[in-house]
Amino acid sequence: MNWKLDIKGILEPFTALKYLFKQPATLLYPFEKRKTTENYRGFHRNDQSKCIGCGLCEDICMNDAIDMIKPEIVKNAKNSSELIPRVDFGRCCWCSLCTDVCPTKSLTLSNEYSMVSTDPNSFLYNIPDTSKKEKQNG
Amino acid sequence: MNKNNQLVKIFHGPQHPGITGNMSVEIDLDGETIVNAETHVGYLHRGFEKLVERRTIPQAFTIVCRICVPEPDPNEENFARGIENLAGIEVPVKAKWIRTMVLEMQRMTSQFLWMAGQGGSLGLYINPQWAVADRDLMLDLYEELTGARVYHMYIYPGGVRNDLPLGFLYKLGRLLDYYETRLPEYDRIFFNNAVFKKRAVGAGYVSPETALKHGVVGPVLRAAGFKKDVRRYAPYEMYENLEFDIPVATESDVYARALIRREEFKQSIRILRQIIKMMPKDGPVNVKLKNHRQFTIPKGETWVRTESSRGEFSYYMASDGSEKLRRMQVKGPSMVHAMSLLPEVIKGGQLADVAMIMNSLGTCPPEIER
Repeated sequence: MNWKLDIKGILEPFTALKYLFKQPATLLYPFEKRKTTENYRGFHRNDQSKCIGCGLCEDICMNDAIDMIKPEIVKNAKNSSELIPRVDFGRCCWCSLCTDVCPTKSLTLSNEYSMVSTDPNSFLYNIPDTSKKEKQNG
Repeated sequence: MNKNNQLVKIFHGPQHPGITGNMSVEIDLDGETIVNAETHVGYLHRGFEKLVERRTIPQAFTIVCRICVPEPDPNEENFARGIENLAGIEVPVKAKWIRTMVLEMQRMTSQFLWMAGQGGSLGLYINPQWAVADRDLMLDLYEELTGARVYHMYIYPGGVRNDLPLGFLYKLGRLLDYYETRLPEYDRIFFNNAVFKKRAVGAGYVSPETALKHGVVGPVLRAAGFKKDVRRYAPYEMYENLEFDIPVATESDVYARALIRREEFKQSIRILRQIIKMMPKDGPVNVKLKNHRQFTIPKGETWVRTESSRGEFSYYMASDGSEKLRRMQVKGPSMVHAMSLLPEVIKGGQLADVAMIMNSLGTCPPEIER
């Protein structure tokens, strides 16, 4: 195969060396953490003062990641089933169909995404209640 | 051949430097020359086509994006359009524009991933570093628009899930400006690189007859001299209102396919600039569907197709009047490119070129097996 000496093609890739003197594109994790956007689909949150325990989230979840459990205190008087959802993060795919069907919009997704634990049972995630925070703020 | 004068058999894969997913090529070697090759799959079968039959439509749409890992959106769009055809749903105009925008953004991210893989398969490791970093900037925009970075689950039957966030088109325009400045840099390190040219020119030749015989699609077909693109000959969404060129070449080797993809990247920038100008300011972005157990689809069948960065994706869907699909059949480009074309193309070539040719043909194992 004939091959001509391609001096331009040999020298030009070395122009990449100029990036040695520029700022790195990466973050210094874990000292510097990435900020997620507002509508990021992260861990679930449930405002138990609004949750009516209808179980629609459990019904639409195709991964069977949501099951309805009995809470210590039922915070909404209209919660006739007296149950609240719990998520198994080992199964959840963060499609957010559960939050789409929630009739009272009590179930939402936060923008937190990092969970580290040595206990595999921690994947069974008791969804944090956001109604507490509102009361404290109020 | 080994000392007993026999061909040496090796498995190339199932892990590869340049492609997403697992598949292997069984190769018979005479020295470094490939005498015979056969593709083996079976490492990634997840049974999506069957799973779709067991799920209601809103439940099924969340798994179709997983059919092809680097390109989820063409699958989402194809599935959504198929369901809309079957159920007779009219999608709002703004949703169609947003879908077209998302598809073009996806094409660009996928081209970056191809660029990373092609560099990785050749040992040019600046390429993966740069391409993945630049792709990440587009993923940031995806995160803002859809809430997820890779599996967006955004395009669903009836429209898209949410409207554009405030200032999104401005950010997209700025990113396109940045990508335009980056393209000459990629030319310098990759497309004009003497090493890449020396390896790629003449390697992995696909003759026009072979391309037609195997039913090849996408950049591989266009590099063989056929000006075929689903966006042009069977326009969907808003592509008929947009101006763009379809790059064609006749050399049909790895280098020609690389240049075709580079030109397609430029065309995607051109299309996205038009979309930014033409995007409707307001209007609905979806139609409200019934509860997922009551959303039944009339009996019928349909066939929809879309152009992904590696070629035509087509779905055959049949419904029996219930809330679930009776059958869904997916045909992706890699089925042809990796299963039947690749063994023929690498025959007579060198062992070191297998990864490069595999990447150049746009191999994506998840989509072969679904």
